[in-house]
Parts: sequence; C-alpha cells; structure tokens
Amino acid sequence: MTSRSKCVLKLSNGMEFSGELIGAPLEASGELVFTTGMVGYSEALTDPSYFGQILLFTYPLIGNYGIPPLPSIKELETSAGFESDRVHASAVIVSEDSADAFHWSSRQTLDEWLKDQNVPGITGVDTRQLVRLIREEKKLFGRVVPDNASGVRAFSNKLPSVDPAVFFDPSAHEVVRAVSCEKPYIIGKGKKRVAVVDTGVKWNILRQLASHGAEVEVLPWSHDLTKVDCSGWLLSNGPGDPVKTGDLKSRVSHLLSGDSPILGICLGHQLLALAAGATTSRMPYGHRSHNQPVQLVGTRKGFITSQNHGFMVDESTLPRDWESWFVNANDQTIEGIKHKTKPFKSVQFHPEAAGGPRDTGWIIEQFVKEL
Amino acid sequence: MPKNQALQNLGRKPKIVLLGSGGLTIGQAGEFDYSGTQAVKSLLDCGNEVIVINPNIATVQTNPQPGVKIYLYPVEPEWVEKVFEIEKPDAIVAGFGGQTALNCLIALSDNGALKRHSVLNLGTPVETLKMTEDRDLFAKKMQSIGMPIPKSFACGTEEQAIKAASDIGYPVIVRAAFACGGLGSGFANNEKQLMALVRPALASSPQVLVERSLRGWKEVEYEVMRDSQGNTITICNMENFDPLGIHTGDSIVVCPSQSLSDEEYQMLRNAAIKIIDSCGVVGECNVQYALNPDNLEFVVIEVNARLSRSSALASKASGYPIAYIAAQVVQGFDLLEIQNPVTGKTCAYFEPALDYITIKVPRWDLGKFKGASRRLGSTMKSVGEIMAIGRSFPEAIQKAVRMVTENDTGLAAFARGDVSDKELEITLSEPTDMRFYAVISALRSGWDFERIHELTHIDKWFLSKLQEIIKAEMAIKSMFAHKDHSAVSSDQWRAWKKLGFSDDQLGRYLLEVKNQKTDQASISRESAKIRQARKSHNVLPVVKKIDTTAGEYPAKSNYLYMTYHGDTSDPGLVQMMQSRRTALVLGSGSYRVGTSVEFDWCAVSASRKLQEESWRSVILNCNPETVSTDYNSSDSLYFDEMTLERVLDICEFEKIDGVITSMGGQLPNRLALPLARHGVRLLGHDANTIDTAEDRSKFSRLLDELGIDQPRWVAARSREEIDQFVSKVEFPVLVRPSYVLSGAAMNVAYDRVSLDQYLSMAETASPDYPVVLSEFLLGAREIELDGIAQNGEILTAIVSEHIENAGVHSGDATLVVPAQKLYVETVRRIRGAGHAIAKGLKLNGPFNIQFLARSNHIQVIECNARAARSFPFVSKVVGLNLADAATSVMIGKTPRLARINEDDLPHVGVKAALFSFTRLAGVDPVLGVEMSSTGEVGCIAEDFESAYMLAMESSKVFRPKKGILVSAGPEHEKMKFLPWAKKLTELGLKLYATDGTAKFLTDHAVPVTEVAWPGEARKGFEDPVELIRRKDVDLVVNIPKNLQRDELTRGSTIRQAATSFGCSIVTNMEKMIAYATAMTFYPDFSKTHTPVVLPEYK
Repeated sequence: MTSRSKCVLKLSNGMEFSGELIGAPLEASGELVFTTGMVGYSEALTDPSYFGQILLFTYPLIGNYGIPPLPSIKELETSAGFESDRVHASAVIVSEDSADAFHWSSRQTLDEWLKDQNVPGITGVDTRQLVRLIREEKKLFGRVVPDNASGVRAFSNKLPSVDPAVFFDPSAHEVVRAVSCEKPYIIGKGKKRVAVVDTGVKWNILRQLASHGAEVEVLPWSHDLTKVDCSGWLLSNGPGDPVKTGDLKSRVSHLLSGDSPILGICLGHQLLALAAGATTSRMPYGHRSHNQPVQLVGTRKGFITSQNHGFMVDESTLPRDWESWFVNANDQTIEGIKHKTKPFKSVQFHPEAAGGPRDTGWIIEQFVKEL
Repeated sequence: MPKNQALQNLGRKPKIVLLGSGGLTIGQAGEFDYSGTQAVKSLLDCGNEVIVINPNIATVQTNPQPGVKIYLYPVEPEWVEKVFEIEKPDAIVAGFGGQTALNCLIALSDNGALKRHSVLNLGTPVETLKMTEDRDLFAKKMQSIGMPIPKSFACGTEEQAIKAASDIGYPVIVRAAFACGGLGSGFANNEKQLMALVRPALASSPQVLVERSLRGWKEVEYEVMRDSQGNTITICNMENFDPLGIHTGDSIVVCPSQSLSDEEYQMLRNAAIKIIDSCGVVGECNVQYALNPDNLEFVVIEVNARLSRSSALASKASGYPIAYIAAQVVQGFDLLEIQNPVTGKTCAYFEPALDYITIKVPRWDLGKFKGASRRLGSTMKSVGEIMAIGRSFPEAIQKAVRMVTENDTGLAAFARGDVSDKELEITLSEPTDMRFYAVISALRSGWDFERIHELTHIDKWFLSKLQEIIKAEMAIKSMFAHKDHSAVSSDQWRAWKKLGFSDDQLGRYLLEVKNQKTDQASISRESAKIRQARKSHNVLPVVKKIDTTAGEYPAKSNYLYMTYHGDTSDPGLVQMMQSRRTALVLGSGSYRVGTSVEFDWCAVSASRKLQEESWRSVILNCNPETVSTDYNSSDSLYFDEMTLERVLDICEFEKIDGVITSMGGQLPNRLALPLARHGVRLLGHDANTIDTAEDRSKFSRLLDELGIDQPRWVAARSREEIDQFVSKVEFPVLVRPSYVLSGAAMNVAYDRVSLDQYLSMAETASPDYPVVLSEFLLGAREIELDGIAQNGEILTAIVSEHIENAGVHSGDATLVVPAQKLYVETVRRIRGAGHAIAKGLKLNGPFNIQFLARSNHIQVIECNARAARSFPFVSKVVGLNLADAATSVMIGKTPRLARINEDDLPHVGVKAALFSFTRLAGVDPVLGVEMSSTGEVGCIAEDFESAYMLAMESSKVFRPKKGILVSAGPEHEKMKFLPWAKKLTELGLKLYATDGTAKFLTDHAVPVTEVAWPGEARKGFEDPVELIRRKDVDLVVNIPKNLQRDELTRGSTIRQAATSFGCSIVTNMEKMIAYATAMTFYPDFSKTHTPVVLPEYK
C-alpha cells in the first residue's frame, strides 16, 4: 500500500487522534456524529441532513463495494446509491477504507470519490472510542487536519462566512439554505402532484413518491407555498436545528389551515410539529442508525427504521388536536405524529430508507394513495 | 407465565416438553446444545416445568436441575409419546433440536399423538414446517408471493429425476428433502452422476429435488425472527466466502456481509421478511439466497424454520441471544415487550449493529477418515467450526486460521512446496478442504487474484484482502532480512499486528529468512523476544465489547474480543475485575474428532462452580457452537484465539489469579506447560504433574517405580531399535506418536509389511518425536477410571467398562457404568493402581486413567491429568457432577462429596458412540485404534439390557425387524456368535450370511441364507447390496478380519452399502453379542419398557 499523509482529528474537548488522510488534503470542521449502519455509506455521505457534520462510521470497513456513478437527473428515478449529487458531510471518519472495490455497480473507490468531492477524511483511528466520546460529551465538534493541507473545505456560499478558526456547528446556522435546490424541478409522471418543500430532500423520497404514481414538484425551501397547485405536500428531511429555518414554520402553519394532505419526514416532521404549536429540543445523543425500533401507537406492531436526527419533538407540547403516531421502542421518544381529524402526518424516521431497512415504505405509498 | 392464552388458562405451571437433537453428527452438532440450553433457561425463567428429551448425555441441556426433568431417550415418536403418557405435558417445543426434533414433531402430529395427548405445539405451525421441508410445496409458496426460486422439480422416482434434469439442462444440483446437512445432495453434470446421487437419496427420503445449478453466485443468508404479532427482524446477514456450490456448513462465512451494497442488503432483507411473514413462522428462521455477482438477480435457496447452525453462529457473531429470545417468542411474548438481556437497555425488537467483522471457518477432519473424498460440495463434511472476531478482514482471517490449525503459526505455515501450477489450478477450481490454503499458496507464488477469481469465483474483495496479507508477509521477511526485531519501530509493529500477524508467525519469518530451524521450540524462543520487543514499544491489543449496538448505547455486555485496531479498551472492564478473585477457564476450541460437546460441558460446569464459590469466572473459547460462549455462562467471555500469546494477553489485562487448563480437552491442556513457564499460575494439577502424565517416558518411569504394569513399549529412534522391540514383544504392535488425543496416525501393525507402511506415516505425522511402539494385547478388556484427586489423594473415582475388547478407541467404544462383567478382584486392583498413580503424580484435580485387564492382570495404558470425554456420562449416571467437584479442588476447597457406591445405583448407564459415516462417502465404517465417532449418546435404565437397547437406538442402530446380514470374520468371532445366531432366528429374524459365515452356521444347524459377495454374481445367490437396498436386511453385522484400517476387503463394500442406504450396522462382535443378549432378553422392548427420569445430582 502506498503510504498516506498523516492526519489529525482535533476535538472540541481538547483531545487529538492521529491517523491517516483519505480523500482531499483539506481541513474541515463540523459536529461529530456517528452512524451504526453497516451498509449505505454513499447514501449517508450524500444525505443533505449530514451537512456540516463530520460523519463517523462505526462499521470498521467502509468502501468495500465502492461508489456507483452519479446518475443524471433522467436516471435519478431508477438509480441507487446517491441521495443527492454531492457529499454533504464536512468530513469522514472510518477505521479502515477499502483500497479496492470490485462490485458490479462501482465506478471508483471511496478515497477517489472523496478526493473528487473535495472532502477530507481520516482513517486508522479508534472509532469505537470516538463513539463513546460522542455519546458522553453530548455535543462534540471536531476538525480534520491533514499534514500539509492545501486549504480548507469550503462551506456553501449560501451561508454567511464562517470563521475557519471555530468549530462549525450546523445547528447554529440556517443550514437548509445550503442544501435546498435553487429552482423548482419535476420528477415522475402522474395525475396526482406532490409538492416537496426541499430542506435537503433525499432522492429516495422523490423516487418513492414517483414510483407510487405521483408527479413530484421539488420546491426551494423559501418558495411561496400559497401559490402552488398540488394534491399534497411533503415536508422533507434536512440538516440542522428545526427552529433555524427562517419563516418556514409560519408558511407551514398556513398549510395547516387547509385540507391538503401533508407528510413530514425527519426535519419535515419537526417543522410540522413546530407549525402545529409544539416545541422541539436537542437530544442527549441523536438516533443515527439503521436499526431503530418504532412502535405504532395503540398496537403491538413494530417496524425497524433508518434514522438520522439530533433533535426531537417534545411530546408533552403537542396540541390537543394532534396525537403521537409512532414511539421509539428503546427510549420511548416520539417518532411520528398525526392530526386527529385532518390528513396531516409526519414521521421522525426515514420511510424512504436508503440506506437502511424499507419496513415503513408503506407510509409514502399510503400517502400517495390517499391524495 | 408464558403469554400463550391456552397455557395461561391452565391456571397452573405449564409443563413443556423440549426435544433435543440427539448425539452429535456431521450437520447436527453442538449448536443444538447452545439453542436447547438457552430454551430451557427461557422456559424456566417464564415459570414453566420443563421436560427435556435428548439422549445426548454430554450436553449442558441434559443437566438435571430444579424444574427440569431429563429423559435420556431417543428423539423418536414412540419414545416421546411414552413420555407424554407419563408426564402429561401441556405443550411441546421442537424448534431448538435441529432437524431431528422437527422430524419427530411432524411425525407426532401426523400420527395423532399431539391430539391424543392434548399437547400444544409452540412455535411455527406443523403445516408451515411441512411446507418448508417439502420442496415442491415450498416452491409453490414462493411463486405465490413472487419470490424467485431456482428452476427445480421434486422427483419421487429415478425416471422423474432424469426427465427433470433434461428439462432444466445440465449441470443440475440434486437435493434430498427432509435432511439437514445436505445429505444425499450434490452436483451432476450428466445422467450417470445424477443417478449416483438420486439412487441413495431416494432410499432414505421420499423425494429429491433436481434444480438449476447456480455455480459462482454469491451465497448469502439472513437470520430472521418473527413473533406471533407478525413483528419480524433480521438479526444479521452472512456472506459465504466460498460461492454457491459448497454447503454453507463447509463454507468460510463472514458476518456481516462484506461485498453487498445497501441496495442488495435491503433487497434480500425485505425478501426474507416477506417470506417469513407469508409462511407464518413463529420464532427463529434462516433464509438462504443465491445472488448473481453481476446484477440484482437473486433466488431463494431454502428456508429453515428452526434454530440452525447458522443461527448459533449469527447469535455469537451479533451478540443477539437468538435462542433465548426465540424461546420467549414461542411462548407468546412479542419482541417489543422482551428486553434484550445483553444490553439491559434496549428491547429485543431491534437489529444488531456490528462494529467488527466475524469469520467462521469450518474444521474438517477428513484426514482421519480413511478413504473420505476431500471434495466439498452440497453434502456437509466438516465436524466443527471456529469463529474469529476482528476489526479488519486480515486481522480476523489470520486469527481464524490459527484457531482452526491449532498449535500452528497460521498462514505462515502453509508453504507452497513443490506443487505445480497445474496442480494448483485443479485444487483451486475443484473445492476441497485445502482450497483456502491453495489460494494462499497461489498468492504467495505471485498469482494475480484475477486469475484466482476465474478459477474459484471467490469475490475479488476477499482475494484482495488475502493478497494484502501476503504482501505484508513479504515486506516483513525482507525487513527481517536486514534488521533484527530490536530495530523494528512501534508503528511497524502496530501495522503488522493490525494485519493479524501473531508473535509466533513473526518469529517464524525471522527464523526463515535467517535459514534457521523452524521447530516449535525455536519459534517459541523467537516469539518471546518479539513479544518483549513490541511490548517495550507499548504495542498491545485492546479489549472491545460486543454490545449489539456498536456503542450507540452504553451496554453492560460482558462479551469481549481483542484487537489491535484501537487505542483504548472499553471502559468498565478494569473496575469490574478487582473485587473478586478471577479464574480464566480455557474452553475446547473447535469441535473435532476427539473433542466435542463433553468438554464444553466440563468448561461450563467449571465456570458456574467458580461463580458459586464467589470467584469471577472468565472463559476463553472460539467455538460458536458452544454453551460456554453464551453471554450467561461466565462473568466475562473472551471470544478469541486459544494461543499462548492471547492467553498471556488476557492474563495480563485481567489480572487473572489462575488458569484452568484441564476442562477443555487436549487443546488447553497443551497450553498448561508453556503458561506455567511464563509464570502463569495453573489451578489444579501443577505443571510437573501434567508433564509427567503427558510425557510417555516420565510416566512409564513412574509406573515402574510404583510397580504397576504397562504394555511394553519403546520410543524408537532407529529401525534397529524398532526391530529389536518387535522381536521381543511379537506382533501385533501399536504404532503411535506422542501427545495425541484421538489417535491420529495411530495404527496396529499385524506384520512387517503393515509396520513398514505405518512407520512412514507416523514419521510424517510428528517429525520432532521418535516413533512409539507398544505391545498390543488381543482379547483384553478395557476399563476406565474417572475421578478427582486432591493433593495426591483420590476423593472419588468411578470405574467404567468397555463393551468392546481393547483395540477400539475409547472414544468409539461403548461404555457401561457400573461395570457388569469385571471380576471384583480386577476392580480392586484397578482402584489400588489408581490410588498409587494419584499419589505418584500428586494429582490435584480431575483425572482419567485407562486400563487393560486380562484374567485379573491389569495394565495401565495412560493417565490424563485433566477432565476426560467420559466425565459428563459418568457424572450423570452416578449423580455426582465430577466437573463441579474438580473445580472446587482446583480453587483449594475440599468438596464434601456424597460417597459413591456404584453397586447401589438404581440404574445402569450405557454410553455409545455416534458415527457420521453416512456423510462421508468412500469411508469404511470400521472401528479401530483411531477414533472416528463424531458424537455420543448415553442412556440409563433399570438394567444393562434396557440401557443398552436405548443407547443403540439413540446411536442410530435400530432393532432389526426383518433380516440380518452377517459376515462374522475370523473363526473365533464366528464361534462367539453361534449361540446368538440361533436365538436371533427364534426371534423371527431371517439370517443372511456370506460364504464362510453361511457355511459355519449351516454346519451348526442354524438356518441361514447364503448370499454372494458384492459384485460377484453367483446364480441362486442374492447380491447383499441389493438386499440392503430393498430393505430385506435391516441390520448388517460385519466383523473385519483384523483392525488393519486399509485392509481392502469385500466386506468393505457391504459396510459402505449399509451406511449409504441408511441400514443399521454393527462391526464389533462384543457389541453385537451384547445387542443380541438385550434383544433376546426384551423381545418386545419398546412396548414393555417404561421410561425413567435421570435423577438429580446429589
């Protein structure tokens, strides 16, 4: 193996970990988070919800099946592997990346891809120890510092300039700006039209909606929602603190006065709750894995879900005309809400999966059916 | 209380029958002690009374304990129904006893026994089981839910099979229904090969399946659990290193999958859930797929609606207690309400996240089965397995290789030798037990892994990782060529250790590049220096937990492994260990011929006893098919290598107070002396004792001093010495190497020709040791003394008698306790010798001494200063747990033992060996000084005859109802058989015999039908193979002329026909006479015998 540059991970608690550089020789900082999914690294890294975060994979061998080619917008519906067109995570932490990939769908290795994407990463560090620190420190930030770095990984030009000397905290910014589309676009064909408020939507939400026969119009997060012609709304996933979303909460509140079905996913779920009058708060440590059990309230029925969130809806603040729909079977936190009379629903987990289990795909299917 | 409504309505403690899997055979081994033991615990925890039916006396699940009744009976419908009559149980659980238990449950349902006795089947409904077992019904079901299956046809006749194959197109795969371990299955490229598979398969099974061959496809499995509410989870998936075509039991298996994308992973996961849901499985289930390596195409290969070997592996690989939870689920609990006992925090309804890789490698002992084909295919042949855990593929695979090739230096030891490219190509393209090493050889010879992939279809990712190891190996060697180990940097040491290189391996490379001797002593010396050097650089392994959540939640898990991919050990381990004295119990490692579940029973007993005595118990083992590696068998479990290096690592990390090496069989026993040399305290026998017992010369000298006779022997270093010895003692002589457990390379030479032949074999078996020859007594009785001594005084010792005369390996022999036919004087002398040896060796722990006796003259064969294979059998028959008592002694306590008087026992116990010849085509099922059984059973009853009948049936020798085919061997054996021949005919059995025996019987007025020798068509005489195939003969008694293994006789064809057509066979005359005695004594045994419960330990 060719020898790699040394690289250091500096943490906000003062600790340092030395390892080797993968990807681009750039410095990058962000909030440290981990995912315990054993597959789905390209999906995770391109998930806009990880914007501004340094993503650690607890599975020690990452990159085994390589990286598929980026689909064109035409191929998007039938593709798999990418959840957006770029890596959103600030940087990557893996125990070991695969030097080679031989999978039929692979176009390049993880290392090559990260280089192309201008994303740095560190390998050869004790990821299990880091997970413990993330868990125990509640809020931990880090900076990947390669030897002889050629620069700093640029954040979005849509955000006010960030001081490179401080650790980047995505929940301190309106990060949805950085990940939302600039212009509306349409995916799929169908009689029913779903308007997606793009706060960093994952492509698989679009694929799923389209596969169930909906025409999907993706709108920038700042779009005027009062002048949209659609049969239903989808509030998408996205990064950051749900309260740092400008006037989106009040624009969603306006939708609640109507009767068009709404489905919220992840950040969309938190926004729906906020719009309904509930509050959200930061979790001690988030849910970021493919194995989260949720229970359908009022039944003995459970589902395994894919999750990636650090904030949650405070159950006690739900207004009276709302009820909880799903709860987490491990820690009893709220995983979904629905309106008692109107067709408004949302889930904290990812029914679209990618990566992770597809047990709750029926939620999107049902949503489209009921339009 | 169980949640099942019917059981709750009883308003009292439900009584539940749990079916075990019987004795260990290839394809159905120790994994079912794991699952059964967990199921018993779960049923007890939920407030049931449990009735276990299982003749496998060496298991943990057949330990009598409050609330559990043990019936050591064959898992056959008629015996289970008898237990129903006595116990009047409310329900039955069959999902934890392998295919044996499922088949029995289906039979009990079909014959109406469940209805008659109002016994509720808990778990997957019988209809579902039948559907998953009947491949035609299964195929229909899969088609109805849109699941792709390979093109296949169920065939009940040979003609149907031929038609099916031509419809599909060759090559095809043949699978026998109703069989686990893939018995009677294989690939066929043409009609001739097809018939060779179909004929024997149809003899033992009503139908076979002829399928499209999918060679080269990936083989992937999912372990699935579903509760009665329909909640379904996949515990984990597993990917076979070897592509489809090799039985998964014979494949190297990686968990979780390594080469599957999220899309593939979720596609197969979804399919698994859909299948299980539509089948209505309740409990645990395994789904096997073939996945096209070039696209998303897949097919469902099979569904096992029960705990399986894969489930045991998945449980150990993921840390999820599958069997325990599955047993909760069959009682009606849903997964959401069950807590995960490993984390204590999460609920059982979740899917484990792994942050490490596990690799399972099978252990074959094909070298021990003379004549066995080494080809691997769809019939399972391995006798055991190990699992390695690491945080990189190289780290885990190198551990795995060391685990499975004990006392070797792993990959380093496999040199290319002078194998030609052509030979290598063949070994790569035709899978055998050596293929993995052929891959290593090819890589070492510089073959491109693309070329290896073309020949093997092994995924290139795996091959590239192996290449990484070989490249590093070369780099290490070139570095050692210039530098000594003192010059190696700490980064370098760490990089090598991360790739899984052991100190021994590095030591070996160092010696190799310097052209020095690479014997074990030199390697150990070098290894010790390397250990010192890297420790001075602070290059040490860290301890990580397996917690099912990849660290997401803090878990109280005590399931640990060591890795070099990390800077710090998980917290909470050090604090935990300082409060109590701590002992490390070494387990057995892989099961193999000679080491099986009995040593796991010993290790588990020791661990539990330590806990009872307020010690902290730490277990080290690497065998996923065991109870000792369960989360609740110890305070801490290290699932890791059983090497000196790793044991020292653990001792240093854990501050171990002492190590128990005497409970896991020969593998840990061999570590005792090296550990003692490194200053580790051994609990029990001290190092001198073990050394004297193991070293033939030292032990012999001791016996001479004690005035105890032994067969004459010599450790000959030259041909002259050998010839001198032979002329002194005369043939036959036993030829064997030192330090062996199961008699590998041991043989009886009856003349000079065979002696010459064995000598060459013995030399290759053990180059560092001289050849040991000893006198071989004909017609002697063999007797064992199992017991416990403290400071040289025997606390208790039990005599057991072999049914077979000396010459049959003690592991294959039939044992009886109390002894039935020994002179009182013989027993007195044996006990006297036992006391003297205990004193002489200063035994301080468990021991086993083997004796020969002829007319009250006794000789000592050997003394094992450790627990022996017979411990669980003897313990359960006499009602005293010898392993428990031995553990007390080892920690310095004097156990107060109930006085055992074998004459006062209310019953007799018989232990019989179980063989796997049916799975090993080409092997002559004859017994000799080399052990060849893979398992054992033990039964108790009011008299010897009853216990013997039960033990025979449990070991798959079924009472004949039609005819017996006899070839009685030499004259003296014929004489012995004569009186019984007559009695057997009086029982209504028809006797058939080959020429010599037929003439002998006719001459003595016993009605007999003479048959031809196989293949020798003689007019008016039937072919014996045909008789066996037609089932006119249902017992074959075939006594070989002598114990020479490779004697190619016509009898061998008859013996092999018996095993391949599933006909009972007895190849030892003493065993047959005991059988005939019992049959005559109880002409209607199954009707007249009332089952008895195994009494609790005193």
